[in-house]
Amino acid sequence: MQYVPNIRIVEMPCSGTIDHRVLLQAFEDGADGVFVAGCMEGDCHFQKGNYRARKRVNAVKKLLDEIGLGGERLEMYNLSAAMGPRFAEIANEMTERVRRLGPSPLKKQSAGTMEKEGDVA
Amino acid sequence: MSAEKTGSVLVVGAGIAGIQASLDLAESGYYVYLVEGSPAIGGTMPMLDKTFPTNDCSMCILSPKLVECGRHLNIKTYTCADVVDVQGEPGNFTVTIRQRPRYVDVDKCKGCGECAEACPIDVPSEFDQGIGERKAIYKPYAQAFPNAYVIDKENCIECGACEEACQAGAIDHSMEEETIELKVGAVVLCPGFEKFDASKLAYYGYGRYPNVLTSLEFERILSASGPFQGHLVRPYDKKEPRRIAWIQCVGSRNCRVEHGYCSSVCCMYAIKEAVIAREHSKEPLEITIFYMDMRTYGKGFEKYYERARNEQGVRFIRSRTYEISEVEDESKNLRIRYAQEDGSICEEEFDLVVLSIGLEPSSSIKELGRKLGLTMNEYGFAEPAPLTGVGTNKPGIFVAGAFSGPKDIPETVMQASAAAGASASLLAEARGTLVKEKEFPPEKDVSGQPPRIGVFVCHCGVNIGGVVKVPEVVEMAKNLPNVVYAGEYLYACSQDSQAAMKQIIEEYDLNRVVVASCSPRTHKPLFQETVREAGLNRALFEMANIRDQCSWVHMHEPEKATEKAKDLVKMVVAKAALLEPIPQVSAGVTKVALVIGGGVSGMTSALSLADLGYRVHLVEKEQQLGGVARRIKQGLKGEDIPSFLSDLIARVTTHPNIQVHVGTEVQAVAGYVGNFVTTLTDGQEVQHGVAIIAIGGEEYKPTEYLYGESDRVFTQLELEEALAGGDPRIENARTFVLIQCVGSREPQRPYCSRVCCAKSVKLALKLKEKNPAVNVFVLYRDIRTYGFLEDYYLEARRKGVVFIRYDSANKPLVEKGDSALKVTVTDHVLGVPVVIDADVIGLASAIVAPESNRQLSQLFKVPLNEDGFFLEAHMKLRPVDFTSEGIFMAGLAHGPKNLEENIAQAKAAAGRASTILGKDQLESHGVVAVVQQDKCAACLTCVRLCPYNAPKIRNYAAEIEPLLCQGCGTCAGECPNKAITLQGYKDRMQMAMSRALFREV
Amino acid sequence: MIIAQQKPIKDIAEMIADCKKVLLVGCAGCVTVCLAGGEKETEILAAALRIMRRLQDNPLETVTYVATRQCDPEYIATMDNLVKDVDAIISLACGVGVQYIAERYHDKWVVPALDTKFIGGSKVHGVWEEKCGLCGDCVLHRTGGICPIIRCSKSILNGPCGGSQYGKCEISKDVDCAWQLIYDRMKALGRLDKLMEIQPPKDWSKSRDGGPRKAIREDVMIG
Repeated sequence: MQYVPNIRIVEMPCSGTIDHRVLLQAFEDGADGVFVAGCMEGDCHFQKGNYRARKRVNAVKKLLDEIGLGGERLEMYNLSAAMGPRFAEIANEMTERVRRLGPSPLKKQSAGTMEKEGDVA
Repeated sequence: MSAEKTGSVLVVGAGIAGIQASLDLAESGYYVYLVEGSPAIGGTMPMLDKTFPTNDCSMCILSPKLVECGRHLNIKTYTCADVVDVQGEPGNFTVTIRQRPRYVDVDKCKGCGECAEACPIDVPSEFDQGIGERKAIYKPYAQAFPNAYVIDKENCIECGACEEACQAGAIDHSMEEETIELKVGAVVLCPGFEKFDASKLAYYGYGRYPNVLTSLEFERILSASGPFQGHLVRPYDKKEPRRIAWIQCVGSRNCRVEHGYCSSVCCMYAIKEAVIAREHSKEPLEITIFYMDMRTYGKGFEKYYERARNEQGVRFIRSRTYEISEVEDESKNLRIRYAQEDGSICEEEFDLVVLSIGLEPSSSIKELGRKLGLTMNEYGFAEPAPLTGVGTNKPGIFVAGAFSGPKDIPETVMQASAAAGASASLLAEARGTLVKEKEFPPEKDVSGQPPRIGVFVCHCGVNIGGVVKVPEVVEMAKNLPNVVYAGEYLYACSQDSQAAMKQIIEEYDLNRVVVASCSPRTHKPLFQETVREAGLNRALFEMANIRDQCSWVHMHEPEKATEKAKDLVKMVVAKAALLEPIPQVSAGVTKVALVIGGGVSGMTSALSLADLGYRVHLVEKEQQLGGVARRIKQGLKGEDIPSFLSDLIARVTTHPNIQVHVGTEVQAVAGYVGNFVTTLTDGQEVQHGVAIIAIGGEEYKPTEYLYGESDRVFTQLELEEALAGGDPRIENARTFVLIQCVGSREPQRPYCSRVCCAKSVKLALKLKEKNPAVNVFVLYRDIRTYGFLEDYYLEARRKGVVFIRYDSANKPLVEKGDSALKVTVTDHVLGVPVVIDADVIGLASAIVAPESNRQLSQLFKVPLNEDGFFLEAHMKLRPVDFTSEGIFMAGLAHGPKNLEENIAQAKAAAGRASTILGKDQLESHGVVAVVQQDKCAACLTCVRLCPYNAPKIRNYAAEIEPLLCQGCGTCAGECPNKAITLQGYKDRMQMAMSRALFREV
Repeated sequence: MIIAQQKPIKDIAEMIADCKKVLLVGCAGCVTVCLAGGEKETEILAAALRIMRRLQDNPLETVTYVATRQCDPEYIATMDNLVKDVDAIISLACGVGVQYIAERYHDKWVVPALDTKFIGGSKVHGVWEEKCGLCGDCVLHRTGGICPIIRCSKSILNGPCGGSQYGKCEISKDVDCAWQLIYDRMKALGRLDKLMEIQPPKDWSKSRDGGPRKAIREDVMIG
C-alpha cells in the first residue's frame, strides 16, 4: 500500500479532542489542506468523540468559506484503524482536491513550494 | 483440602474468551498461564470484518485487548502450545504443556517482515481462509501478539533466505519441542470452535463450484485487511457480484450429519454480511437470505433484522434449499433450487452463494475433554454443570465460549468473565500470592528545567533505513531547538538499544525523549517503560511514526520519504519540548460491593463476591429473596428450580460476608468507582467500591387473546404454576394452544424475549409427558430454540406437538366458543384458516424492563436502551460493564435471558467487579483531562458531553474525576474558556507541531 | 444569563477594516457560558480575522485577552497594558462590556463582535430560550412561575387571546400559549382562584420605557 508523501500526521487520542483553533492554526501556518481522520461513526472508542469532531470540522469549514480560504480545504473522514487502503485512498483524494484548489494563498514565501497537508488522526 | 491453594490459573485457548478471562484474572490478583495452539492470540475475532449488531470493526475493538493481554505482567502466554495433561485437584493442578518449535526467537524478532519478504514459498493463508497467500515464514495477521514470525516447517524448504534477511538474528531452524510443567489452582477451558466442513454436504457444491463460499471466506473478502482490501469481488474472476445468496443452517439443525443443534450465530452474521456487502458494493446489489427460522434473539438483534428487511433491501426467503448447481457457461454462476413454505419449488440464479456454516468442536478439543474426563454432550461440546453457567463435572475446571455450545461474542465474553470470577472465588485465599509488580526507581524532578531532548531514530532493520535516509534525519534532529542528543539505532526496541537509551538519558541528562520508529500502538508502552526505568516520568516520552506512516507507504520515493520523516521528527520534537510529567492519580478502594436485586442474578453475584472474601450488601425491594425465579418450577433442561432457589437463598442468608436488606430500595447515590456512598430507603448508608444492578425483569401483562377475560388464558409463568399446582383447568384440558411472541417483536416492543420459544416447547413436552393424548399446538412466528435447545424442538415435533406458523400481519384470533375457546389461525403450509377448539391457551408473554430501571438509571447516571433495559458499555466486549466505571449489570435488567444465562452473567458481573475490589489502589488511565479551575465558568459543557460522568461542578467550577476520565479529550476540545486541557495532548502542543512543521530549520 | 451570538465575521471585519492591530477581548461571564465569547471563541475569531486579512494582502496583528467579566470596571482595568498600541478593541461580551470598554478607553475604536439577544437559559446544550422580559416588576408569583410578558407573544397580562388554540400560540405550532401553561400550572397547584383576583394595571414605569434604569442598594454601597 502506497500513498502520496505529502501528508504530515498529528496524533490525537480521539478525533473528539480536536479544537477549532488547531485546525485554523494549521492553515495559518501554511497547510494546503487538512483532514481529520476519526473512527467509523458509531465505532468511537470513547462513545461520541467522532460525532463531536465532525460538528467542529463542519463549523470550521463554514468559517473558512466565510473568510475566503474555502471550506473545501478541510475535511472529516471516518475510517477504522484496520482500513489502511482507505487511508491511502483518502490521502490521495485529498491531495487531488488540494491540487485542484492550488497552493494555499496563506503559504509563507519562505516555506518553499512543497505541498504539505496536515492530518489529524 | 490438604495443600494450600495455588494463586495461578491456566487458561486454555486465546480467543476473545481466553483473553478476557486472562485479563480479568490477572487484574483480580491471579497469575495466568494462557496457552494457545496457534502462533498468535486472538482466535476467530481478528478474521471478522464487522460485528453485529453495532457493525463495529472487529479488529478495532479487539486490538486494545490484544495489546493489553500481550503486555500484561501477570499473563504468561504460550503460543504454538497444547495442553497434554492435567493432574491434581481443585486448588492444586499440575499441567503439562507441549510447546511446538516456532523456529523464530520471539524475544529477538521485531516483526519487521524482512524474512517473509525474502521467503520464496507461497502458502495459502489460513487467516484469509485460503483465499490469500502467506509465506512459509509468516505472522498470522498484522496486529498479532506476539508480534513475531513463525516458520511453517511443513512448507519450508530451508533455503536460508529468511536467516540471511533477518538482521535481528531471530531465526533458529534448530529449535525443538519443549515440555513445560505448570502449577495452577484452576483451569479455564475456552478453546473455541471449528467451522463446519461444508464439503460434507455435496448438494451445496462447496469445493466444486468456485463461487460457493463459506461465510468465513466471505468475511475475509469484506475485510479491509483481507485478500482484496475489502473490495467485494468473487475470488473466481475478481468481478463484482450483483446477486448474492446466503444459505442458512449449513451444518446446523441437520441430524443427518449429526449436527442437530442450532449454531446460534449464523442468522445474525448472515444479515450482517449481507448489509455490509451492500455497503461495500458500488453497484446495486441484490441480496437474498434463504432460511428456515430467523433466529435474531439477542439484544438489539430483532431491530437489526427489521432494518435489514425493511430499509436495507435484504430479501428473506423462508425455504428449504435442495441443491446448488453451476450454470454451464464462463460465469460459473449458480442456480439454487429450493422449496418455499407452501411446498412450491423454485429456482434462481446468483453470482455468488455464501454458505452460513455452523460451529462445531474440533477433534483436538474433543480429545482434550476426554483426557480431562469432562462430561461432553452428544455433539462433543462440553456440558456445563446445571445452573452454574461455567462449571463442569470436574471441580476446579471451568468452561467458557463456544466450547460449551455455540454462542456469539458478548455471551462468550460474559462467560469468560464468569469463568474468571468462578476461578477467583475458588482460589480466594491464594489471591495476590503469585502476581508480580514492576518496581521502578524514583522519578526525577524535572520541573523548571529547560527541555533537554534526546532523539533516537530507528532503522527497523531495513524497514525504515531501506527507504528513509536515517543519518540525514539524525543530522537534522541535532539542529532542532532543545535537542541535545540524536542517534540512530538498527532496532530501537532491541534490548541492547534499550540499555543504551537508559545510559544516554543519564549521560546527557535528558528530560524528554523522542523515538522515531514505528507505531505507538505497539511500542509506546515499551519505550515508556524504558524511560521510566531511567527515572523519567512516562509522559516525558513521545514517538514519531516514520515506518508505518512513512517508509512503508512511500517505499518508492526515498527523497520525499526522508523529507517527511524529518518533518515528523521536527513536529514531535516541538511537542516534546512542551511535555510535562503526568502524575498517576490513585485512590483507595472500599472493598465492599452493593448488589441491587435479590433474584437469582443478584444472589449469584453476591455469593461470588462474598466467596472471594468481600463484604456484600444485597438490597431487595420485596420482603423476600428470589425474584421471578420463585414462579419457575423447572429449568429448560429439567432442573428443579424451587430446590435450587431455596438452596441459593440459604447460602446467601447464612453467608458471613453478605448483609441482606429486604424491603429496601436505593434512595441516593454519591461518589464514584472505588468509593461510592449509597443511601437506602431505610435510612442506612452503605459505603462500597462497586455496584451490581440486577433488579430483574417483569412479565408483560397481555391485553390480547382474551387474557384477563377468560380464566383459561394464561401467561407462560401462570401456566407453569398451574401445571405444577395440579390446577383442574389444566388437568381436565384436552387441547392446549400456546401462542408465541405475545407483546414481543411488536412495534411498541421491537425485541425478541428470547426465552419464550424454548419455554413453550418445554411446556408442550411437559403436557405431552403428563398425558400423551392431549393436543398441543404452538402458534409461532419463528421458532428460536437456539443452541442445544433445538433438540427439544425436534423432540416436541416427534412427540406430536403441532407447530403452526403465523404472520404478524395475520395473527391468530381467539374467541369465546360455547364450551371452549375458539382459535383461528391461517396454516402456513395449506394457506387456509384452521380452527382449533382450545381448552387452555398459554401466552408467551414478553419480558419487559422493570419500571425501577429508570429510577436506578437516574440515580447511578447510567443509560438505558430504547426498550428500557440497561445499556452496556460495549455491546460486544463489555457486556456487563456500564460506561461509568465500577458499576455492572446482570440478569433481566440488561435484557431477556434464560436462567442459566442470567447465572453466567451474574458471575461475570462479579468477576468484573472483582478486578476493582482486588486492587488496593485504583489508578487513573494514563492521560486524563484536567481543569484549570480559575478559568472555568461552570458552563456545564463538559458535564453534558462526557459519556463517563467524569466532570462535576463543585464549588462553582468543574472538577474532573481522574479515575473516571478515559482521556478522550472531547471536553477539552469543546471547553469555551479553554479551562480544560488533556494531558499530553494540549492544543498548544498541536499548534506547536503545526508551527514546527512549516518552520525552516 | 445574557444570551449573545456572534455577528457574521464579515461584519466584524468591516468594522476594523482600517486597523493594523486589534485587541480581542472575551468575557468569562455569561457569554462564555452561552458559548459565544470565551477564550475559545475569542481565539477562533482572532485566527479567522488574521487569515481573512492575509488573504486580502493586508495582514492584521491580533492580541487576545479574556476578562473575568466585562461588566465591572475593575476587570476592564486589567487590560490597560494591552490596549496601548492597538488600533481597535473588539469586545466579545454583551453590550454592557462593549460600553464599559469604550468608557474606559475613550480614544479607542471599540466594536462589538456579538449581538446581545436576550435573557434566558439553556434548554438543552446548544439551545437557549428567552425567559425574562426585564419588565422591572415581576409577576411570576401570580402566574404560576410562567412569565406572560416574554412568553406570551402579545405580553398579555390577563389571560389568553383568541389566537390560543390547542395550547399553542397562533404565531407558530412550536410556541406554547403562555396563558395555557399558566392556567394548567395554576390548576395543578390548586390555585386557580388566584387568577380570578383583579389586578391593577401593570406599572410599566419600572420597565425600560422610562429611559435607562438604575438599580441601587444603599446598604451595600461603599463610602
